[in-house]
Amino acid sequence: MSQAQTQTAPPPMVQAEGVSKWFGDLVAVSDVSFSIGAGVTALLGPNGAGKSTLLRMMCGLARPSNGSLTVLGKNPRADVAVLGRIGMAPQQESLLDYLSGREFVELAAQLHHVDNPVEAARRAIQTVELDPDDPRKLSTYSKGMRQRIKLAQAIVHDPLVIALDEPLTGLDPRQRREMIQLFHRLGSEGKCVIVSSHVLDEVERFGSRVLVIAQGRLAAEGDFREIRNLMDDRPLRISIRTDQPRALAIALLNRGVISGCRLEANNLVVVDTSDPTAFRRAVAPAARDQDASLLELRPLDDDLESVFRYLVGQ
Amino acid sequence: MNTHIYRVVIRSQISTGRLLALAGLSGVAILLAFVARAADDPVEVATRSMGTFGTNVFAPFIALALGSTALGNLVEDRTLVYVWLRPVPRHSVATAAFAAVLSVVGPIVVAVMTVAAAITGVDDLLVATAVATALAVFAYSGLFLALGLRFKRSLLIGLGYIAIWELLLSRLGDWFARLSVRSYPMSILSDATDVSMRLADRSTLASYIVPLAVGLAGLLYTSWRLSRTEID
Repeated sequence: MSQAQTQTAPPPMVQAEGVSKWFGDLVAVSDVSFSIGAGVTALLGPNGAGKSTLLRMMCGLARPSNGSLTVLGKNPRADVAVLGRIGMAPQQESLLDYLSGREFVELAAQLHHVDNPVEAARRAIQTVELDPDDPRKLSTYSKGMRQRIKLAQAIVHDPLVIALDEPLTGLDPRQRREMIQLFHRLGSEGKCVIVSSHVLDEVERFGSRVLVIAQGRLAAEGDFREIRNLMDDRPLRISIRTDQPRALAIALLNRGVISGCRLEANNLVVVDTSDPTAFRRAVAPAARDQDASLLELRPLDDDLESVFRYLVGQ
Repeated sequence: MNTHIYRVVIRSQISTGRLLALAGLSGVAILLAFVARAADDPVEVATRSMGTFGTNVFAPFIALALGSTALGNLVEDRTLVYVWLRPVPRHSVATAAFAAVLSVVGPIVVAVMTVAAAITGVDDLLVATAVATALAVFAYSGLFLALGLRFKRSLLIGLGYIAIWELLLSRLGDWFARLSVRSYPMSILSDATDVSMRLADRSTLASYIVPLAVGLAGLLYTSWRLSRTEID
């Protein structure tokens, strides 16, 4: 075997090429291409961005309207066997409520033809910090317990690709920490763990590769720190309340850190900056030079939606 | 057939409301049998009772209540995903669901109607009732299993189908009657006792073949639909 062959990168575990999905006139996913290997990958985007649709297509629950999506080299929609290597925790809360948690996870193990489904179910339930001997029906489970039992059924058969749709919703901070550790452990075992979330800070704690999905498009892709920097450096509109709005606005314009401004009532000035970092450094010295008091600084478009809108425009 | 899915569907079907409906309809069947036994012409009254109630009401309504919800409930409460995500052939899911419906509806409806037929004291009706009811259950179970997977408000649509098509339009003429499931099992009853009933003039062969074909067509459609459907 040649050195070139031995150093060949492993094939991606999930690969999307020009994938689109539409429902009538609604385009849920538009021409998305990516490849994902082992480790934890976060799918970040606002609600309705197309994350769940992408995950559903990865697990064969929906077929792409256009393009191709393969998991472990197979089409999960056409090849039922590949579903044995995929685990998924869907977003919806509904479960088979007439079963107990153990029965629910055992059923998953049985349908995946696991050798010892009873033992596998016990292990998976313990992994998500639930009691495998709890006889209660799923209908009595709290939101956090439902999230964890969904995770247990997703990992009970030791899959290679694990797709988790908003898995931290409803968990308390300690449980979130434990779950994130579990994702990393699974990732370090060579599994491909794909976790969707609309919470920026949550994804930051996954600390891994990120695919940013906005308006059905792949808005950004790469290491989380790079994307975070990109997000932090985007143009911002900021409202400043000061006792000398006109003087402060002129000072900021003269320093070249804002591209426009508008004076408003109640001592407010709204400024546009394309260099938020430079603005943050300059605003306090500019106020000091003008003997102006800074009473309030408030970003007007710092919500996640506007961050994603910006990334889509990039 | 997948036995794990079979067991889950069986469990999902058992509810207090359904058991009460079963008990209520069973009670009506037994009551009608006693009325027929006491009638001046027990053969005619019994045949009409078994036909009208057994194959027109009991079998279709119970098959609708359980058949339409077997997979329909999984679709409506968005839990079909927990079956779909597994490496199980889709035809195996459909077969398991069909078997689960049959094994709940079949024994109960057939047993109750056969006991009712025995109470009437009309010997010719005993086997014919068991066979006719079993065929009606098979046909309606397949039909409503498919309906449950295809439509969201399948229970309502099924009720509309029974009331409008089976009970109303089927009386409009022979061609309508041919497309009515109930005319076939009724013909078996009519053949057994020589009591003439409206709609019950299908050939003996068709009376057996058509209900089986309808049930199997429902099962095949369910398998096909399962393999094509997109899961929420």
